[in-house]
Amino acid sequence: MFDEKFRKVMSKNEALEGFRVLDITRIIYGPWAANLLAVMGAEVIHVEMPKMGDLLIRGVSPGGVFPRNLSPGMMCCNSNKYYIAVDMHKPEGIEIIKNLAAKSDVIMENFKPGTFDRWGIGYRQLKEINPGIVYVSMQGFGNWGPYAERPSYDAYAQGITGLAEISGFPDGLPVKSQAWIGDYLSGTIAAFLTLTALHHREKTGQGQFIDLSQAEVLMRVMDWTWLFQEKTGRRRERSGNWDMAVVPSLIAKTSDGFVAIAAFPENEYLALCDAMGNEELKKYREPEERIKNAREIYPIIDRWASERTTDEIVEVSKKLGFAAAPVMNSKTIHENPHFNARKTVWKFEDPLYGDLAYPNPWHLQGTPGRIRWTMRPVGFDNEHVMIRILGLNESEVEELYEKEVLGKWDENFPATSPPKDWDGKKGIIY
Amino acid sequence: MKDWTEWAKENTDPKKAKEKPQALDDIKVLDLSYGSYAGLFASSLLSEMGAEVVRVEPPEGDIAREMTPEAMKIKGTGLAYLIEGRNKYHVTADIRKARGLEIIEELIPKFDVLIETFPPKYLEKLGLGREKIEALNPWIIHCAINNFGQEGPMVEGDEVPETLDYDVIAQAFGGFAWTVGLPEDYTEFPEHTRVPTRMGNWMGWYCGGAMAAFSIMTALLYRDLTGEGQFIDISPAEALMALNNYAFHLYHLTGQVINRVANFEPAAYAYNYVQAKDGLVFLAGYADPNWQALCSIIGRDDLVEKYPTLKERTNPKNFVPMTTEIEKFTKQKTREEILKIWLEYKGPGVTVAGEILKPDETMEIDHWYERGSLVKFKDRDYGDLTLQGLPAKMSESPPNLKWACRPVGADNKFIYNKYLGFDSEVLKKLEKEKVI
Repeated sequence: MFDEKFRKVMSKNEALEGFRVLDITRIIYGPWAANLLAVMGAEVIHVEMPKMGDLLIRGVSPGGVFPRNLSPGMMCCNSNKYYIAVDMHKPEGIEIIKNLAAKSDVIMENFKPGTFDRWGIGYRQLKEINPGIVYVSMQGFGNWGPYAERPSYDAYAQGITGLAEISGFPDGLPVKSQAWIGDYLSGTIAAFLTLTALHHREKTGQGQFIDLSQAEVLMRVMDWTWLFQEKTGRRRERSGNWDMAVVPSLIAKTSDGFVAIAAFPENEYLALCDAMGNEELKKYREPEERIKNAREIYPIIDRWASERTTDEIVEVSKKLGFAAAPVMNSKTIHENPHFNARKTVWKFEDPLYGDLAYPNPWHLQGTPGRIRWTMRPVGFDNEHVMIRILGLNESEVEELYEKEVLGKWDENFPATSPPKDWDGKKGIIY
Repeated sequence: MKDWTEWAKENTDPKKAKEKPQALDDIKVLDLSYGSYAGLFASSLLSEMGAEVVRVEPPEGDIAREMTPEAMKIKGTGLAYLIEGRNKYHVTADIRKARGLEIIEELIPKFDVLIETFPPKYLEKLGLGREKIEALNPWIIHCAINNFGQEGPMVEGDEVPETLDYDVIAQAFGGFAWTVGLPEDYTEFPEHTRVPTRMGNWMGWYCGGAMAAFSIMTALLYRDLTGEGQFIDISPAEALMALNNYAFHLYHLTGQVINRVANFEPAAYAYNYVQAKDGLVFLAGYADPNWQALCSIIGRDDLVEKYPTLKERTNPKNFVPMTTEIEKFTKQKTREEILKIWLEYKGPGVTVAGEILKPDETMEIDHWYERGSLVKFKDRDYGDLTLQGLPAKMSESPPNLKWACRPVGADNKFIYNKYLGFDSEVLKKLEKEKVI
């Protein structure tokens, strides 16, 4: 597990070391944006409600099962963070947020537009305390505009943008991606924008306010949809596993699984025709000809693939020079030697929860990303943050607990507590 | 104090972006990507933020210009490329020719970022390996994008053929398609539709490009502080792997493989699409109090009793029966009526309803145009275009859309003169030799 490559990654510098991020976000979109900064080395303080924590994500698990008291929904976008639980409905809670914001480079939130402004911790108030702060506000439809008041979830964003309607088979159903891609992709863009704002701050000393709508991010990545509809006056229809703009580029059923095949330049396409032993199809040399005749070409490839194994197709693709890859799943990825050697399959030992595995695609040679620890119980790092970062003393912290401004986990809420066999010490950093 | 939304609009309206400075106006990007919208999207994100991006195409143009529905083109360029040519200078150089490669070598010292999407080791074989690039410019951030990555057993030896780096390979190889689509036992649908399904858009390319841009920015920020450049190895397939919820984490924990579940969510219910009178509607109400809210709206407290906790509700066997019951209510109403009922609910708990639209219906929503996420743009080369604008609204250094695209080689004269001092004599010679 901890081979030479693992140690090599761990010994490298972290790109964002020294940046502090105050992460008051919920569910996936915001947490993932902050998570990306955390895997690159930023110090991220994740704020939740005492007791229940982020109820809308801690309670998310297939079958309602929480192995080792971990929440699958939460663990996938909340690594390397410090966990505090503050009741922001109390004035002392707001005071804590203000004091932390004064010492942070970035604040992220995904509450309803205007909530933080009303609470006195919006960008207008925080920039008075900390002019360099980068304030990132992440919602379904943004902070202004006709739909700004609408609540949103990823699946709604996939629905209203038409992304689901262009995915799936014409004679099946429209399908959304099971992945919360409206959250994840928007979170990735939010993290990117945050870094551009920090770069701007390096030059000017000035922070700023960022407003990013997840629905708008999905609109942005729907490639030719809008231009096609404008130019033709027709709707973009879904086309199943056939890409109608890159021909051929498809997912096909094989005799033992599923394979992706693509061959767009002439040499790749001719190689595919050779693999199929089909001279007739070579008449469509030009990409343009193939796009026009896609409905003739695709069924022939589908038929050919259905009579072969996935391995056979991948082998011949390598030999003759077109692209093919199996449709993988979490099991085959987990076992795959290539992804393991690259440490994209990142196995590590969490001090609180034991051995875990995460995807780790951040292969920056000088400053690679890495997962150090997974999620934490509600309020787990309260003492570390209040005493070491805010400089409170232990009796002040005690008082905040008594007033229920600060809190910890509550076993009545799922996946908020340490694992059952916890010794009361492991993982505590204060 | 002013109303919040008013303040937010006034300070982040993209219509005012042109008056503001840009975050990356000190960054120069050399984009050698070929046939890959992952590379193109990464450089689009940087160019929107003000970076000067120089796109290098072979003299016949990037094959990405050919990737277009119904082979539709405007002045020789496909629709998809017209979205991602934005703000970029377009030059040509044939790197398969010695002089073409030399031009790239002369450009490298003048740039901060290099993006490429070639097959692994392709540049090395041409004589422009990683060490050479680092020697030419130790401060450069070199981001190589390929589904199979730049190291690992699959790319050692001659394993990977020299092909383009495709979206569909990312969606398949990254495990993303495995979790999308109709399950095997949805026998009311034809057999060929009950398979792992690719997303209709180029999700692999776009997520790969976003991850590349994010990684490049972390490297730039690190360089601001240390002066060090670096090499970045990004795989769109791996990017999708990291964006696929808990599928991978859960497999390690429990051995459970997450499979496709149509428009349900294996870890929560209600969080799915249901049928309305005139189309589909999304409904959410999955934590206990929120499920109770949903059931009270449709007047079905019996469902709370029957499916009281997450355990019952995330049992896949219950997905269809629960939905059938909810649809007894929703099928009687239009999407608009359902939305109204949900927005008017003021009781305890939070439940959300939202309409599922066809993309032509989506295009009629004013919100997108008002916020500049869709724009009617007049391009100097390609005329009137309705295309994606800028999702990000920023108060101090916002993104900007300067032009949509440029023809192949349109900026040869300006860029080669600016960076390498070529005069028209030199350019003519290079053209004659088919280098540019």
